[in-house]
Amino acid sequence: MNSEAADALSPSGTRFLQVGDVRLEMLEKGEGRPLLLLHGMDGVEALAPLIDRLSATYRVFAPSHPGFGGSDLPRSFSTVDDLAYFYLDLLAQLDLRDVVLAGFSFGGWIAAEMLVKNNERIALSVLGAPFGIETADRKTRRVLDIFVQDGRTVEARSQVTPVPKLDLSALPEEVLERRVRNAEATMLFGWSPYMCNPKLRHRLHRVTTPTLVLWGEGDAIASLEYGRDYAALIPGAGFETIEECGHRIYVDCPDVAASSIDNFVQRAIAAAV
Amino acid sequence: MKVWQFSEQAYHPAFEVPGPMRITLPQNHCDPVEAGRLINRYLDEYVLADELGFNIMINEHHAAATCMSTSCMTTLAILARQTRNARLLALGIPIGNRANPVRVAEEIAMADVISNGRLEVGLVKGAAYEVFMSNRQPVRFMDRFWEAHDLIKEALSNEGENFSWDGEFFNYRAISLWPRPIQQPTPPIWMTASSGSSAAQQARLGYVCATFLSGAVARSVFDAYRKAYQEAHGRPASEDRLGYLGLVSVAHDRKTAFARAEQMKAYFTTAARLDPQFRNPAGFTSVKDNVRILKAGPNAIRPRLRDGSPLPSDPTIEQYIDAGLMFVGTPDDVFGQISRFYADVGGFGNLLMMGQAGTLGHAETVENLSLFSSEVMPRLSELSVAAPDIRYEAFA
Repeated sequence: MNSEAADALSPSGTRFLQVGDVRLEMLEKGEGRPLLLLHGMDGVEALAPLIDRLSATYRVFAPSHPGFGGSDLPRSFSTVDDLAYFYLDLLAQLDLRDVVLAGFSFGGWIAAEMLVKNNERIALSVLGAPFGIETADRKTRRVLDIFVQDGRTVEARSQVTPVPKLDLSALPEEVLERRVRNAEATMLFGWSPYMCNPKLRHRLHRVTTPTLVLWGEGDAIASLEYGRDYAALIPGAGFETIEECGHRIYVDCPDVAASSIDNFVQRAIAAAV
Repeated sequence: MKVWQFSEQAYHPAFEVPGPMRITLPQNHCDPVEAGRLINRYLDEYVLADELGFNIMINEHHAAATCMSTSCMTTLAILARQTRNARLLALGIPIGNRANPVRVAEEIAMADVISNGRLEVGLVKGAAYEVFMSNRQPVRFMDRFWEAHDLIKEALSNEGENFSWDGEFFNYRAISLWPRPIQQPTPPIWMTASSGSSAAQQARLGYVCATFLSGAVARSVFDAYRKAYQEAHGRPASEDRLGYLGLVSVAHDRKTAFARAEQMKAYFTTAARLDPQFRNPAGFTSVKDNVRILKAGPNAIRPRLRDGSPLPSDPTIEQYIDAGLMFVGTPDDVFGQISRFYADVGGFGNLLMMGQAGTLGHAETVENLSLFSSEVMPRLSELSVAAPDIRYEAFA
């Protein structure tokens, strides 16, 4: 961390640092083993409950992906590959080692794309309901196409926790701008082919990082079967399901998610001794 | 004033089906024999329009009962051969949605040579919901649009060696138009605008700028165009650089004209039938504009009545006339309404006239076009920006 970046630390723990072409917004919280936490389509904001729990035992790095929240989107970025290489650069720049990599939904896809490229700095990974492998087979959809659903339906199907009513026009412009940027970046990276990289399936055999795949039993965005197929493509990956939990595991069950991650890490440590 | 006949060529029997008219409406509601009958009827009306001294405008939409023309150039290829005098305007070709811009240039060139150089070409952004059919990326849409524009223009005007193209969005090894267009360097290019900033950009390029059903907003669009044109070219923009699209129902008596306008009104009520998630896909509109839309709420972009209030959701014919979206009545009424609008917006040289819309039948459309041609069109040369004796504050 350079001094300029350190000065930019805000009370909430959010700071900005320059990584390549990107002025990256990143929330850093807690002490301990480094854990890179990659958010879903709804931005880093939605991870707050999970960050609170994980930061009790980990040093959590929770960036806003390029294009999301307050992070720059370079003109050259257009695929999840770009994001995966970017985060590998981030790990190198911060010189983090033995990192626990955790990603949810869209962020889980980024994590999977990192794992097939370079695992030098990554010790363990947890993928929570990740996208990334084919979301449809010709006429049969396996993952709900959020782009053709109305917003309220997508919200209701994303979590089992009731969705609070929100008057968008009453929100401050800064908050609206983050929401609009999150939606636009989700569109850029996920529009077509929908939320997947057809090459990923054929690359997942390269993953040597011990990996746990988490899935909500009530996931109404990406089905459990999609999750099982996904996990089966990753050599040796575990697959754990969470009861009464939807696609937004971090909203519905942050406690279970945090303990699943921690238990997985503890088992790995015990196995290594 | 050039007048251009325009119809969306609706499959109006489907208007009875409840729910959306676009994207999600199943095609089993389309009787293809009836569709063929209707399209041939609309083509007959275009051929008549040619005989009556109109020019012709064609558009396109996809997965919509409101518009069966799914390709401007397919429709115009027919009319290129079946008409004699009309200028033939595609308004427009949604080039940000097209996968293959060279194919677009080829089709333009082909229709231009068949019509002996009567083609005019609108290159448009198109409606936001069209990306659900084209499946093209909504983010950076206009970057792709401008690359396609540059490539199409280059292909149409090239008089040198064949060329290759390796851009951000498109790659070609050998570009060569056989045939190439008669009109050089290109057929006249049109674009559409609903804001001053778009109009100014089009003015700098010298393109014809059209605004659709925008009422009072046309004034700010045209003013921005005229200002930017003067700055860029050092001379005033001639009126033929500007176009306005509105609905026209003219009859010998007001009662008949208003009854037909009620049928044409189905254009407005059906065009709007679309599920909300398709209206504004993320990325198609800029972040800044999207924030503004979210802050302003859903009524912010409605056309305005002359007193400045927003057009209600189910307006009367009188309110459509007041807002400048419809011109309805006897030939004198219609001429008066057009004159008033013309003066209010500072003049324009192209009236894009929906002479058929909604459920209006063939016989009524024929009479509408014929009466306009004989009783209104000849008087349009009298139009003057200084004409009305009243200044309307709503337009200030």
